[in-house]
Amino acid sequence: MNVLSQEGASTMSDDSREYLTFTLGDEEYGIDILKVQEIRGYDAVTKIANSPAFIKGVINMRGVIVPIIDMRLKFNLGQVEYNQFTVVIILNIAGRVIGMVVDGVSDVIALGRDKISSAPEFGAVMDTDYIDGLTTLEDRMIIMVDIEKLMTSAEMGLVEQVQTAVA
Amino acid sequence: MAIDLSQFYQVFFEEAGEHLAAMEGLLLEVDVEAPDLETLNAIFRAAHSIKGGAGTFGFGDMAEVTHVLETLLDRLRKQELAPTVEMIDAFLQAGDVLKEQLAAHQSGTEYEDPRVAEVCQRLEILARLDPTEGGDAIEPVAASPAAPREPVTWQLRFRPSEIGPLSGADLRALADALVMLGPLERVREDAEDLHHWRLTSASDERGIRDVIAFLGDPEPVEITVDSAVSQQTASACLEDEEEDGFGFFAGAPGRAPALEQNEDEDGFGFFAGAPGSEQALDQEESGFGLFGGSPGMQEVAAVASRSRAEEAQGFGFFDAAPGVPEEAGDHETSASAAQPLRSIKGGERKPMAAGAARPAAAETSIRVSVEKVDQLINLVGELVITHAMLAESASNLDPVLFERIFSGLSNLERNSRDLQQAVMSIRMMPINFVFNRFPRVVRDTAASLGKKVTLKLVGEDTELDKGLIERLADPLNHLVRNSIDHGIELPEQRREAGKPEIGEILLRASHRGGSVVVEVSDDGAGLSREKLLAKAAKQGIPMPENPTDKEVWQLIFHAGFSTAEKVTDISGRGVGMDVVRRNIEEMNGRVDIDSKPGRGTQITIRLPLTLAILDGLSVRMGEEIFILPLTAIRESIQPRPEQFKSVAGRGQLALVNGEYLPLVVLHDVFGFAGEKIRHEDGILVIVDTNEGRAALLVEELVAQHQVVIKSLETNYRKVEGVSGATIMGDGRVALILDVDALVRLNRKAA
Repeated sequence: MNVLSQEGASTMSDDSREYLTFTLGDEEYGIDILKVQEIRGYDAVTKIANSPAFIKGVINMRGVIVPIIDMRLKFNLGQVEYNQFTVVIILNIAGRVIGMVVDGVSDVIALGRDKISSAPEFGAVMDTDYIDGLTTLEDRMIIMVDIEKLMTSAEMGLVEQVQTAVA
Repeated sequence: MAIDLSQFYQVFFEEAGEHLAAMEGLLLEVDVEAPDLETLNAIFRAAHSIKGGAGTFGFGDMAEVTHVLETLLDRLRKQELAPTVEMIDAFLQAGDVLKEQLAAHQSGTEYEDPRVAEVCQRLEILARLDPTEGGDAIEPVAASPAAPREPVTWQLRFRPSEIGPLSGADLRALADALVMLGPLERVREDAEDLHHWRLTSASDERGIRDVIAFLGDPEPVEITVDSAVSQQTASACLEDEEEDGFGFFAGAPGRAPALEQNEDEDGFGFFAGAPGSEQALDQEESGFGLFGGSPGMQEVAAVASRSRAEEAQGFGFFDAAPGVPEEAGDHETSASAAQPLRSIKGGERKPMAAGAARPAAAETSIRVSVEKVDQLINLVGELVITHAMLAESASNLDPVLFERIFSGLSNLERNSRDLQQAVMSIRMMPINFVFNRFPRVVRDTAASLGKKVTLKLVGEDTELDKGLIERLADPLNHLVRNSIDHGIELPEQRREAGKPEIGEILLRASHRGGSVVVEVSDDGAGLSREKLLAKAAKQGIPMPENPTDKEVWQLIFHAGFSTAEKVTDISGRGVGMDVVRRNIEEMNGRVDIDSKPGRGTQITIRLPLTLAILDGLSVRMGEEIFILPLTAIRESIQPRPEQFKSVAGRGQLALVNGEYLPLVVLHDVFGFAGEKIRHEDGILVIVDTNEGRAALLVEELVAQHQVVIKSLETNYRKVEGVSGATIMGDGRVALILDVDALVRLNRKAA
């Protein structure tokens, strides 16, 4: 299930970076590809007690215990059925390995910093704090997410500092 | 080319630490009545090695202490003096001082304590005793640093250029200043090089250094007692015969550790010569020399007054810079230039009878960081899991058709199991590492309480995980001190009770099944049932009627529980036993007490062999599998409906064997949605928690496993009620339950 083809890499200019785009409902998001470790299918998870609903549980990834987050639940995009197309993006953030369930992975794009416009203040499903900016690709709007900031944030409750908030 | 010595500091710290520990152990072995020459020699070598290292690395304070230590030890091993208890005490004290100095250096600070001077003085006085007096007429040792002393002849060696920019006039001023301390003889003065003065003064080394400090930096000045006084080697330098020091000689300009052997005093071989520095490495030593040879430097293997070239093992690191003539050791020296930095274990050479002990026969070992070992253990754990997964997928194949797959799998299983055991054994260490501190603890504690106690160690070779060993030290220490303080009676009381005056504490370690059992027992007064019960009533600790002995003994693990009439600095504050129990339980172990009034107390600690593996029972609740640590499980029963009771409609209880136990329903506690089972269809597992017993309702008991413990915190965070996770044979993750936390959670939920 490797969609990380090197297409688009050719168009890279000096200050451009590559982004992995994925879909959640009708929205398309982009994250820094350097944070992505791998992409895999969805496996059965082991539930974790008393955790927020968007934390599906943990899986065994080659001996490493990895928590799995359902971004669709996190962003209130409704319960979506898990099927063989459900994709888990394994992220490597701040020395931790975290899995993120999304509807599908679409592309790898290279973008210069100047192509990303800053996002206006709006009532999005997530706090604009975690949004790097917006970009347009073939008439589609892609929301650039600072995934590291989002995943280590207190509201995700993934990192120890926020344990009291959840417990 | 200057060598950055600091990169070798760590090696020195470790080595010195080991030497100190070895020295202490040996000191405690010394029988004052019949001293064993071997032991004395070994102590001497340990002290000597520390001194060598400390001197080379510039830890002058440590070198200073070891020097006086060594002087006295040397007289002992040459049998000019008989060892006395005072000496052993002084040695032990010096060892403590050295340990603290070492710790201070390790944290990058200087250790300042008046005790240093005190200890040195004490040792010096002991060393200067007239041999004819033997061990009988020891003068009072508690001499204060200010006490008047016999004048001593000091040797001062220095290069004026190192002390500071000293002109001829300054040198004269220095000499004048020193004359104030006592007669000064200017033995030798080369314009450029070493000055050698001899000062006879009652002042100690510190005093002399203080005087020098007025005019320059006293550090490079080498000050030693003139050996003519003590008839001893008092070797000027760092090397001596039977040396096993590790010398990292920095050949940086400005440092000139002149090393030599000096058997007959006054035969100082100083090799003035090439600009830069010279090093003299001597024979009959396994010194590991690290020579930084910059151009123009010469490493000269020097033979001082007498060369006794035997068994030299100079492991030299020669930086072969152009134009460096190298020659290490002499004659028979086997200076192997490219020897890797052999973990300096070679220093533990036994005194050899006939110059045997080839280097090759020496025990070889490597130092590896624990992280690397842990990584290896993890990988092997993965291998075992992968095998289990393969075996499971293969289990529905036809054994006849796929015979080769099955035989391959069973081979794989055997090999990976062997591999796992071998890797685990890397982390295993003999429990001696904890035990060997106790002779000292017992000696000191008993002495401070005026009790007579001997310590018996059994099963010191029992191996267990290094991580456990480190964490076992504190609880054991507490138990032993407790036994001496509360258990063993004073000699008079013991006599009255018809017991031998000298109490005995027994530390025994052994393997039993898959666990390690450590016992601490004493032959003291034992626990008093009445006292404990009275105390419990006073503190309002609920007790069942007619409690069993076991239940009464368990009281001492209550926080804040102490029956000691008076609080001492050793024990009695009531913090402690509960901490001991908590520590042990954190290691998945358990503590049991047995006591007989008048006969003694025995505390048994049962620990798993390693922290990485847990014996567990897998239980099913809905679709989820959980692991219960086997140590927590008492029994499991099939409940009848009438066993379940409720109080005020909530807070369910289970009636088991006539006792009402809190009922923990995993489903409810963990808030899992899904079908609830009827209580009577499940199985009750009775577990021991730190708040007493509890009944855990699960749907099914699946199997008993050894599971590899994985942390949830690596990528996630701590989850309440769960102590970790593991990977099952089918590759799924199962959570390991923490029964103590579960009971807490249950109470919160109710």
